[in-house]
Amino acid sequence: MKKKVVSLLLVAAMVTSMGCGSKDSGSANADSGNANAGAGSETPATESSEAGGDAAEAPSDVEKPEEITIMVDGTVFTQENGQAEFIAKLEELTGIKINVTQPDHDAYYDVVGQTIASGEWPDVMILSSTYYSGYASEGVLWDMTEAYENSDLKARQDAYGSTSVIDGVRLDGKLYGMPATRGNGCVTYVKQAWLDACGLQAPTNYEEYLAMLEAFTTGDPDGDGTNGNTYGVSAAGFVGTEAPYINYLPEFYQDANPSFYLADDGTWKDGFTEDSMKAALTRMNEAYKAGVIDPTTLTNGTADCRNKFYDDSFGVFTYWAGTWATNLKTNLEKNDLNGELVALAPIAEVGTYLDRIPPVWCITSTCENPEGVFKYFIETMQDGGDTQFLWTYGVEGVHWSTAGETLFAGTENEKVYEEGTFHMLENKESEGTQYTKAHIDPMLALVELADDPLAVEPEAKASAELFNANCVTADLVPSTDAMTEFNGDLTTLKNTLIANVVMGEKTIEEAYAQFEAEGAQWSQSIVDSLNAQ
Amino acid sequence: MKNNKNQSAVSNNGSRSRLAAKIYKYRGFYLMFLPVFIFAVIFFYLPMLGIRFAFTDYNGIKEATFVGLKHFQKMFSMPNFWSAFTNTLVISVVKLFLTTAAAVVVSIFLNEIINIHFKKVVQTIIYLPHFMSWVVTASVFSLIMAPTAQGLVNTFLVNTGVLTSDSMIYFLGDSKWWRFTYYLINIWKETGWQTVIFMATLAGINTELYEAAAIDGAGRWGKMRYITFPALQNTILTVIILNLAKVMNLFESAFVLQNDAVLDVSNVLETYIYYQTFNSGAIPNYGYTTAVGLFKSLVGCVLVLICNNLSKKIREGRGIV
Amino acid sequence: MKKKKIEIFPIVNGLIFIIVSLIIIVPMWKVIVDSFDLKSAYGMKLWPEQIGLAGYTSVFRNPTLYHPLIISFVTTIAGTFLALTLSTFGAYVLIQWEMPGRNFFANMLLFTMIFQGGMIPTYLVLKSLHLTNTIWVVILFPALNVYNLVLMRNFFEGIPVSLFESATLDGCSPMQTFIRIVLPMSKAALASIGLMFAVTYWNDYTHYKLYITDSNLYNFQMKLRSIIMGSDLPQANNGATENTVKNAAIIVVIIPFMIAYPFLQKYFVKGVNIGAVKE
Repeated sequence: MKKKVVSLLLVAAMVTSMGCGSKDSGSANADSGNANAGAGSETPATESSEAGGDAAEAPSDVEKPEEITIMVDGTVFTQENGQAEFIAKLEELTGIKINVTQPDHDAYYDVVGQTIASGEWPDVMILSSTYYSGYASEGVLWDMTEAYENSDLKARQDAYGSTSVIDGVRLDGKLYGMPATRGNGCVTYVKQAWLDACGLQAPTNYEEYLAMLEAFTTGDPDGDGTNGNTYGVSAAGFVGTEAPYINYLPEFYQDANPSFYLADDGTWKDGFTEDSMKAALTRMNEAYKAGVIDPTTLTNGTADCRNKFYDDSFGVFTYWAGTWATNLKTNLEKNDLNGELVALAPIAEVGTYLDRIPPVWCITSTCENPEGVFKYFIETMQDGGDTQFLWTYGVEGVHWSTAGETLFAGTENEKVYEEGTFHMLENKESEGTQYTKAHIDPMLALVELADDPLAVEPEAKASAELFNANCVTADLVPSTDAMTEFNGDLTTLKNTLIANVVMGEKTIEEAYAQFEAEGAQWSQSIVDSLNAQ
Repeated sequence: MKNNKNQSAVSNNGSRSRLAAKIYKYRGFYLMFLPVFIFAVIFFYLPMLGIRFAFTDYNGIKEATFVGLKHFQKMFSMPNFWSAFTNTLVISVVKLFLTTAAAVVVSIFLNEIINIHFKKVVQTIIYLPHFMSWVVTASVFSLIMAPTAQGLVNTFLVNTGVLTSDSMIYFLGDSKWWRFTYYLINIWKETGWQTVIFMATLAGINTELYEAAAIDGAGRWGKMRYITFPALQNTILTVIILNLAKVMNLFESAFVLQNDAVLDVSNVLETYIYYQTFNSGAIPNYGYTTAVGLFKSLVGCVLVLICNNLSKKIREGRGIV
Repeated sequence: MKKKKIEIFPIVNGLIFIIVSLIIIVPMWKVIVDSFDLKSAYGMKLWPEQIGLAGYTSVFRNPTLYHPLIISFVTTIAGTFLALTLSTFGAYVLIQWEMPGRNFFANMLLFTMIFQGGMIPTYLVLKSLHLTNTIWVVILFPALNVYNLVLMRNFFEGIPVSLFESATLDGCSPMQTFIRIVLPMSKAALASIGLMFAVTYWNDYTHYKLYITDSNLYNFQMKLRSIIMGSDLPQANNGATENTVKNAAIIVVIIPFMIAYPFLQKYFVKGVNIGAVKE
């Protein structure tokens, strides 16, 4: 026993002594990281003063960078899908040598974090809104406001009506990243065959919507001869895990917002405490009790929902606009069902759908020539011409073609293209499927693309257009200390209360009494911190 | 014999040369341990220098600043920390004992199957669930356990008259049933895999022992009780104590099976921290996560030391390592 | 009385295991059926509605899977060999109870199991050793596994001390004893712990996704995982629904273990007769 303790102590001593002994290497590591980070925090100052000088002397005289390193997620072509050809073509068009680092899509932000910590930053990287605002506030990202305001890109985006999307990613008026597309969001799809079977029209308000759900639940919309073996609507959980949280059941939430939002009067509020939220909870509870919402909504995953939709278990599904419309249709048809879906315009009480905050392309503050990278890399991505075409559809002969040919010959999916017809080619990783886009989804572009073949399926185009015509961008909620401190527990509490109320385990009064007792103070301090900014 | 050696070691005062001689005697073993030592230093001890971040604010960008015990204070003052802590301990310790017990019982009875082909088939089948990822497992079980006509278990219970069709149980969505269901799924998934190590141990039993027992008139139960089970004892102890070190790391299985309605019984430390970071809207503070990691390690360390000392009583003074 | 027991027990025991196996299969049956069913459904089916192999052909005809398959074989074989070497060496040293420093080594290893440095420090160390983005990181990094090492030592403990003593009397060096006595006596241990390592290497994706960004170095598991998990990227497959392909991929992950295990089992079923080794 004693021996054991002694040897344990020895081990501990070894660790600490190693801590001292190799402290040099350890701290050297940290130092090299910090040296870079230090340089990083200095660079923008010097750079921007230079930039200021440049701008004053010769505004258009921005040097083109020779070589840049970019870090991208799986939304850019992978190596298996012709990344080499894509980059070669991009290098040819931009005249910049481009080195790509593309970590696995799932672990992208872990690898970004590690790379930032190692001190060897890429020049450009794609970031989601959370990491974007976090890194911007830590000085990792180059402030591109000035470069953007004077650019042609701004003019092109404004002309295409994309101003609000760019404004949506501003932090305190400043721009640290450039979205390549809109964020996209969800629309409500209804099975046309089910509407026909029940003799209904597409609903335009909540009353009609609810009546439709009831007809779908109690009637026999799938025509299998049994009444009541179907549900109206299903979703992956009663509340989403990411903003906008109401994405999957918007008709019940309507104007309610379970999280923080910027009210019309310019102050931040917690939507959970408001009457609109209580009304939404009442609606969901009643609908759940009536059985029109899938009883296993709580435990559904998104894939579960899709499978239930494909096997005709339910009829109304709020899901991504655009390409997914085609995807839902195809999968329904594979099950020998009618694939026709109505993409519902937001019902009167909903008003608008919500656009997510798009991921952005950022330039790091260690980049040696950020103005050049902005002008010759970021701007060209949305030049409305050849480079944007490349970012939208990829490389001719690899990702798309205009040759006369037959794809998927001999299968039920056979597609014959005449000479001169633009079409996407077969996906190298997934037999029997075509590419749908490169990085920029043509339906979500922020700048008009000249000679856009818009090679998308009609239903995808229809749902995207419907969505674009009926959406507002969700608020980018800034991060504050109080938020970091309390929002985790607060969100957990809110989500639990939502589930409890909807499933009838607690009444609204009980739930809000609990919220007052446990969460109200967190909510208040977050609201205060947001308003104090 | 052991005592003898100890005595001689104590009685000899010229211990230094003795020690040198002993070390020389074992020189070949030191050489064999060298590669293990190098791997341990490079892949475990060098990164362990990062434990110092537990006492700093460090986000991977700016230099780490020393903050003392700030992260620990924050951790302990977090409103739901202690409930997550007890959830973790209860869920993973119960899970550990249940799956190990199940694996031991299955191994002992599997060992009694005479037909080798049947034995092989059974073994292969019960070990396969281990290779299904937790995400897939969760989605399959949320179907099987669903409170609808599609849920196999509820349908079975209704058909056998245990439940009525209005009183179906939402196994994964009801706080009263969640842990039970969780243990059940874990037993389903991991029992077979754990039997691999126990079956290998049983293969090492000297067959002479069974023969001798048979001569002594021991029956099947007697052999199982006096030979098979004691042979497994060491392995059982080792497996349990080694797993105690990792008790606080429970994450994936709880994460994929939990939902908003059952967090009070299912939120473990790792999932709690995950939601904290995920919902905070800020880039993670590695200082904080390292502090949480260090705390978990300390708990694991205490558990291992306690159980190791208990095991010494059974293992004639030797710990499990 | 006793005779009766002997007759009944194997039958009851066999029946119980048949029932247990069936219960174990039920949840997997859902995956198996769905992988052969060209129609996708959420619910459980006894048999595929429209049987077809399109899910599997879609997985196997994917040309980008072959290179990762080679990577998987190479890393699994090399890694398992290296890991078994380290575990047996370490375990053999740990049964030398009288060796000076033995307890220090044991605790040093145990300590690594309990305390970890964290994600970023680990990455920085691997990077400074120039291991990141190379195949070496996925072979070397998981090779030392203290859990398996201690289990191995547990098996070694079962080897009778008399065998070691007679080997030493015969003038065997530690290495010779190791090769002549320890390894031949530990086939079941080598098979089971080798299996555990092989499974770790074959199923590994965490090390790949954290330390490798060159997808030419990805293994089979990484690729299949993206088919199984990448469900939110739109894909409309030609012959099969997304659900069919996904379930086929889940089965493909399991197949190697279905094939490999029965081969290893022969080491588990044979009891060792120590008397025979001694003579």
